[in-house]
Amino acid sequence: MNSRLFPVTVLVLVTAFLIGPFFIIVAASLSEGETLAFPPQGLSLKWVAKVFEVESFRESFAMSMLLAIGGTAAALALGIPASYALSRYRLPFGETVRTVVSLPIIVPGIIVGLALLRYLVVPFGFNITLALFLAHTALVLPYAVRVVSASLNNLRSDIEEAAVLLGSSRAGAFFRVVMPNIRSGILAAFILGFVTSFNQVPVSLFLSGPGVRTLPIDMLSYMEVTYDPSVAALSALLAFMSIGIVFLAERFLGFSRYV
Amino acid sequence: MFHNRAEALALALPAAVFAAVVFLAPVVILLAEGFRNADGWSVSAYSGFLSDPLNRTVFLRTLRLGAAVTVVAAVIGYAAAFAIVNLPPKGKGRMIGLVVLPLMISPVARTYAWIVILGRTGIVNQALTSVGLTDEPVRFLFTETAVFVGLLQLFLPLMILALISALENMPKDAIPAARVLGANWFQVFWKVILPLTREGLVIGGTLVFTGSLTAYITPAILGGSKVLMLETLLYQRVTVANDFVSASVIAFILIVMSFAANLLLKRLATARSKR
Amino acid sequence: MKKILIASTALLLIGAHGASAQEKTLTISVYGFAQDAFKELVYDPFEAKCGCKLVVETGNSVERLAKMEANKANPVVDMAVVSMADALSATRAGLIDKIDTSKLSNFDKLYDIAKDPNGDGMSIGYTFYATSIVYRSDKVEVTSWADLLGDKLAGHVALPNVTTNQGPPTLYMIGEALGQNTPDLKAAIAAVGEKKDDIVTFYVKSSQLVQLMQQEEIWAAPIGRFSWEGFTKMDLPIKWATPKEGQTGGMNVMVLAKGSKNQDLALQFMDFWLSTEIQTALAEKLVDSPANKEVKVSPEIAENLTYGEETVKNLKLIPSAVALDNREAWLSEWNAKVGQ
Repeated sequence: MNSRLFPVTVLVLVTAFLIGPFFIIVAASLSEGETLAFPPQGLSLKWVAKVFEVESFRESFAMSMLLAIGGTAAALALGIPASYALSRYRLPFGETVRTVVSLPIIVPGIIVGLALLRYLVVPFGFNITLALFLAHTALVLPYAVRVVSASLNNLRSDIEEAAVLLGSSRAGAFFRVVMPNIRSGILAAFILGFVTSFNQVPVSLFLSGPGVRTLPIDMLSYMEVTYDPSVAALSALLAFMSIGIVFLAERFLGFSRYV
Repeated sequence: MFHNRAEALALALPAAVFAAVVFLAPVVILLAEGFRNADGWSVSAYSGFLSDPLNRTVFLRTLRLGAAVTVVAAVIGYAAAFAIVNLPPKGKGRMIGLVVLPLMISPVARTYAWIVILGRTGIVNQALTSVGLTDEPVRFLFTETAVFVGLLQLFLPLMILALISALENMPKDAIPAARVLGANWFQVFWKVILPLTREGLVIGGTLVFTGSLTAYITPAILGGSKVLMLETLLYQRVTVANDFVSASVIAFILIVMSFAANLLLKRLATARSKR
Repeated sequence: MKKILIASTALLLIGAHGASAQEKTLTISVYGFAQDAFKELVYDPFEAKCGCKLVVETGNSVERLAKMEANKANPVVDMAVVSMADALSATRAGLIDKIDTSKLSNFDKLYDIAKDPNGDGMSIGYTFYATSIVYRSDKVEVTSWADLLGDKLAGHVALPNVTTNQGPPTLYMIGEALGQNTPDLKAAIAAVGEKKDDIVTFYVKSSQLVQLMQQEEIWAAPIGRFSWEGFTKMDLPIKWATPKEGQTGGMNVMVLAKGSKNQDLALQFMDFWLSTEIQTALAEKLVDSPANKEVKVSPEIAENLTYGEETVKNLKLIPSAVALDNREAWLSEWNAKVGQ
């Protein structure tokens, strides 16, 4: 087994399999024709232009951004202290806490949406946006805790102890010693959480209401009525946006050094 | 390690309480509905659900597809992860980026791409007919195969990432040592790589299996109503028949399946290393 | 990190405040079709007229009804348009209120069958649609509903799932074609079950059919007339079948949500939608066929609509009560014979 051929072949095939659909989407979005097709019939930017004209896309985009940023920020606000406590202390119920917090990954999204609708929104009259915000925070929380925990576990605690011994306050030690070193973990958690929340469908299926929708749900409804390449264009734009975010993060925060 | 329990609790509690109130409580209440009928606590909803042959078919199909996707993802995942780990740093970073890329694309978009690819006039059929493997375009859409492919593409990146992480944490000299001692690649895999990367396999396997069980869009669009899975059946029961009891039954079954898979994977992985 | 937290909290607060704006809002729940046209022809003019804001929820009838049911204690929606059968279902579930027709100036202009579709005063018809088979005229000729299960279309046909609004009417017509029509639709379902491998998919959303036809997955499918426009945009030669058993179809109706705080405004909106002016505009744009008998359109346009007293009377509609009472039975029979 000394040839480079096997690994290279594997990588080429896997890449094609994973990335292929992305190219199809981009190509289809540039089509002149009226339906999704590959190869595209003719080239035109009209569908990309149409994306910006559809009002509901603009609104649901704003909503999805709000939920993704807000929800992930809230999840981090809850998750960072929790992971810190879990990794630095020997908590009696540590495992339980970790499990409870991680459950949203296992429970089917539709159930979460349904349960929240029936037992939180309706009985207590929660505003739908608030319910969506809470749901997205709960969904991102497991990622926040796990990824940050992984980072914390790799950070030796004696550095903090040294700081405290040298006169820093506990909080000061946390912000000045721990945080900078788990920066990449937090960033990874933020990106993961953002993407998860942004692309989330099952939970939002039940929780969206009149005037309040997330972008994926909006795309689905749009596809249900109009089968044209503008959804492909929208997906392509979103993908580029996500890539752009990761790229910027890498540039400014030297993310890849820690991977 | 700091030992002040009160402080620790204060830091961890908000997250736990939040998760419990916002998420756990409503879900538990919904699941409880599956265990009640007019007379109180009972499992009649479950026996009712499982006695319907359609439900049994859907259950078995979900299990089958989930397992198939997980196994294939593991095989391909190991091959890809191994190849990636042995790349020079720059190439490695780029490949990881490419693997992560699909995760950034909305599942709605990815699934629709498959409709175009797997259709009668799509690339796959074009390739098959031009190579001469078939005379007539093969019908892929709305079959289990289509759902399988869609799910695999959705979750393979997760498996690859989990395995990369595990492979990187393996002692660097384990493989060369085994090779020096005369092991062929097959033995190296079973006796060295697998045991040392089992945590990655367990995490990856759980994520892929759970994901496949709870995926909605992909089975809904690529499978349609001819290839119902538990999640799409759940949606149908709720929206068409207002049947929350069935929904709760299905949800419970899905959760149990996820836990069982996780335990099974852990068991399998540890058993191997004791040999 | 802190900055992100502060910024997002601020955003959230702004968002929440903005949502509780002071002007009157009317929340309507409608089908997703042709929303661009509706906005131009109905929503914007109404908003200008009433000085209020319309919030629109879209989706198919059954899903929106499920949401109304979930929000029963605290209704979010003021008025909705649903299928006739779903309106009866809503009545039975206590979700809607009687419509005070004295407040609708255009009520008398409606066709008689539209005035009280379910006989309970809880709904008003605003549009009719025919359901027939759309097919590739270059591949096949469809003259009967039985052709759907025939050899010519085997492997190239899609049927509506029994859970959709087009499902039972299609089965009803297949039953007619087979000469075995009973309310339980057993013969039709059994026939479909036998041929299920030849049927590409049991669609839930009709828009997917356009893509499938474009990709040559299917050559024919039963659809409601409201979906027809999407098909005409393709480059392929297609025709609307006039089968010998006749066409089926449905009537969509308006309902008033119980407990809505904007009932008068909702009634105003209904009246506006039913007016000759608006119904004509919608008809001319081929969006909805009119229920207002005073609407007059050119023959070319009428060709593409379900227009006129005669046409409407000849549609073979399934009465709502029959549809509702048999729904569960149809579903179990379907699951047993076709689902697996």
